[in-house]
Amino acid sequence: MPREAEPSLNERAFVVQALQEGLRVDGRAFDQYRQLELKFGEQYGVADVTLGKTRILVKVSAEVTTPYTDRPFDGIFTITTELSPMASPAFEVNRPTETEVLLSRLLEKTVRRSNALDTESLCLVAGQKCWSIRVDLHVLSHDGNLIDVSCFAVVAALRHFRKPDTSIEGGHLTVYTPAEREPVPLSWLHSPFCVTFSFYGEGEITILDANLLEEQLRVSSCTISLNRHGEICQIAKLGGTPVEAATLLQCASVALNKVKEFSTLLDQKLAEDAKRRNKGGLLAELSAENER
Amino acid sequence: MASATTQQHLLLSPAELAYLHSSLSLTPPVRPDGRTATQFRPLTAETGVLPAANGSARVCFADGTEAVVGVKAEVEKRKVLPLSKGHEQIRESDGDDAVAGENDWVEITVEIPGYRDDDSSTVFLATMLSEALLADGEFTKKLWINRRFHWKLYIDQIILISPPLSYPLPLLSLTTHLALLSTRLPRLKSEADEDPMFDDDWDASRFIYPRQSSDTTSATVGSRPPVTLLVMAVGDNIIFDPSKEELAVADSALAVSVGERNAPVDEASETMDVDGEPQAGRQLRLLSVRTIDPPSRLTAPGVPNAVNAAAWGQGGPVAKDPGARAAEIDDVEGVWKAPRGGTKVAILGAMVQKVLEKGGIAEEVLDGLDAVDLG
Amino acid sequence: MPLDTSTYNLALLRIDGRRWNELRQLRGQIRTQAAADGSSYLEMGNTKIMCVVTGPSEEGKRRNQGASSASAAGSGSSTSASATNAADILVSVVVGGFSTVDRKKRARSDKRIQELQATLAKSLAAVLHTHLFPRSTISLSLHILSQDGSLLACMINAATLALVDAGVPMTDYLVACSAGSTSSHSAADERADPLIDLNNQEEQELPFLTVGTLGASDKVVVLVCESRVQVSRLEGMMVAAADGCVNIRAYLDSVVREKGHRMVAEGAVEKGASMAMDIDV
Repeated sequence: MPREAEPSLNERAFVVQALQEGLRVDGRAFDQYRQLELKFGEQYGVADVTLGKTRILVKVSAEVTTPYTDRPFDGIFTITTELSPMASPAFEVNRPTETEVLLSRLLEKTVRRSNALDTESLCLVAGQKCWSIRVDLHVLSHDGNLIDVSCFAVVAALRHFRKPDTSIEGGHLTVYTPAEREPVPLSWLHSPFCVTFSFYGEGEITILDANLLEEQLRVSSCTISLNRHGEICQIAKLGGTPVEAATLLQCASVALNKVKEFSTLLDQKLAEDAKRRNKGGLLAELSAENER
Repeated sequence: MASATTQQHLLLSPAELAYLHSSLSLTPPVRPDGRTATQFRPLTAETGVLPAANGSARVCFADGTEAVVGVKAEVEKRKVLPLSKGHEQIRESDGDDAVAGENDWVEITVEIPGYRDDDSSTVFLATMLSEALLADGEFTKKLWINRRFHWKLYIDQIILISPPLSYPLPLLSLTTHLALLSTRLPRLKSEADEDPMFDDDWDASRFIYPRQSSDTTSATVGSRPPVTLLVMAVGDNIIFDPSKEELAVADSALAVSVGERNAPVDEASETMDVDGEPQAGRQLRLLSVRTIDPPSRLTAPGVPNAVNAAAWGQGGPVAKDPGARAAEIDDVEGVWKAPRGGTKVAILGAMVQKVLEKGGIAEEVLDGLDAVDLG
Repeated sequence: MPLDTSTYNLALLRIDGRRWNELRQLRGQIRTQAAADGSSYLEMGNTKIMCVVTGPSEEGKRRNQGASSASAAGSGSSTSASATNAADILVSVVVGGFSTVDRKKRARSDKRIQELQATLAKSLAAVLHTHLFPRSTISLSLHILSQDGSLLACMINAATLALVDAGVPMTDYLVACSAGSTSSHSAADERADPLIDLNNQEEQELPFLTVGTLGASDKVVVLVCESRVQVSRLEGMMVAAADGCVNIRAYLDSVVREKGHRMVAEGAVEKGASMAMDIDV
């Protein structure tokens, strides 16, 4: 089983010592993210997010299927993650590492279980037809903090996505092509984002957005998912060195501020994209801006 | 038959194995723990350990291997038969016996920590257990509710110590036996082919295997779930409840499943029951016999391919020195050689006979299990 | 109970008749399996878990390779210890098909179970002195016999007990407790009260989290929240859970001490004198 190359003892000592003196290797402040860039694709529902050297591509697709028999009024919403060897030699195809399992569980809890997407709105004919929304996440390059970037990319892509418009007449379902009717956005309820904290020393040093080297050296981590209304969707501090409860509470409030920044950034990018697509001004009323 | 993964090689030297084999071949056999050939190791058992299950049991063998079995029942709709054919079938079955069960109403799973879910050894164990349980077709009849509905019984078994310290089949079988004895199904309130309604009162529930004392009129009096016993032979000696070390030198091993005959008990034996001689009332019958591949049959580590029949053709060049070959194949006093060839039919017959005979092992085991308080 | 309920003055009792800060009945046993290096059985209400520890042993990962097991040290990014100079911790969780009201079989490759395994392995790695057992493996298997809420908490507590029985040195007991909040996430009800040690029904209805602390301290090893809750509730819930942890620690300690006393009384402990003194303290 391939493993990530471990940092040498010298590197270890240097990075940790520097952190204890209040410095990060790349000169950032402890609570500073790397440059976050978001690009939407030509198609709806494609988001390409880079954070420093970490790069993630997300594609959303939709198709009409039959709903699960135990949930006839709900559409189907799945998020699949793929960590390919392209991102890091430590990943293997078809063999989920612990990182991948934890990442997909986190996305599942943050986006799916917090009801960010209203799955009932995906229902077309109860028990017979519904939309199946599928999110494919590909990690193109891994330089730490996969979780925060993945979550941002998934939410961005889902909010950017438009599904074909449909109508039902006399039990007959019609799906319109984009030429016939402008596709419609998903019924989106709130936008959760993940913020991951890394702890060093005896848990007293806290940094945000650790890069790969810093991730390898951390003694513990905690991922907090929130939306900008201050609703926690998920917290995961899965073991690691004990951290004072007060520190974690402080992290939660830092996370809230960061999430508000993410939220603003995403809104702004979505508005820009909508403007770009709306060159003719014909679709002025179909603003991509979501109420929430 | 049984996969090798459940019974890993013991780290015993050829000399130790040879010593074990020769002491077990003596008459009477001398067993490492001083038991007689038919003596069982003591075990502890309790039933009704799980609140969320219809029946459950936990059994701990003397060697420390422990198993928990939970039985869960769910109401399931019967598969709809094709109409034309279905009518005939129902009428047909109405004729002799309206109550009939199907084998897929029972599902048995075995779980051993550290083994994959689809590991062949756990699947094999589950199959052997369900084979014994379903052999006489009587058991699934108990799951019949009406023509449209039936109970589906899930029997989940967990072995707590991994890897098991001895071949786990007898342990699982005994635990399943006790769990089934303690299994209760809610009392049916609805009638005929209505959608089933059940009595909420758990005290009114019925045991799936009714007690003798509570229901003497029923035809199923005395009926018990089957038990599967592990019997092994060394030479002409037949040894019961073999430990892991003993299995390592077995010439052959059998899993014998025994059930109690499902017949009304006549008056005479009834009175004898009261007299405290329940043995007389037991009418045993053989449900299934399976040969188990004991680890002694596996190629021992360190055997060169040249003399290993299983690696025929893929081994290196055949040993040139005839002496070396002879040393691997010929019997040498004090050096263990894996048994070759099959077992004599007479010995297999004697093994089964010993289980079934009056006052034999099966009766002894069933009596022992009777003593377990079913709470 | 060391907690003062009078300031909250709650007349409200919970579904099972408990007050907000009341734990369900705890029943713990250690050394339940003679054949294992360490074993325990823990009931928190109707959540019942059995834990078996094998190790620290040298045999390595060979046997468990096919199964899903989580290794904390070395490959995990969260521990500084590398595989060569600290023990690996392997956790496998077996969910009995009969553990829930409706039978549901969970495959062991289920992501939720893998996450639980990883959580347990990583949190135990932080508490155990694994550096004392280089190149060895401590493997735990947890058997969930019955589940009724607070599953993760009960698993952590059972694992701690079993590891005490196995004699693996640890900094302190790792104890966990769940806590919920009485109002749903949408209601902006500021008077919402925390509840501790939730059962299944409460977990379905209320937002909740699980806190695992190092002994009776405020140091949080595990913090898992899987439901939507206002960030302002977090503090109250964490404080309540930490208080629950203190009580659970006291209980686990009493189980261990009682067993120790009994072993001394039965003469099971050889070098009796010094042991007995330790336990009497």
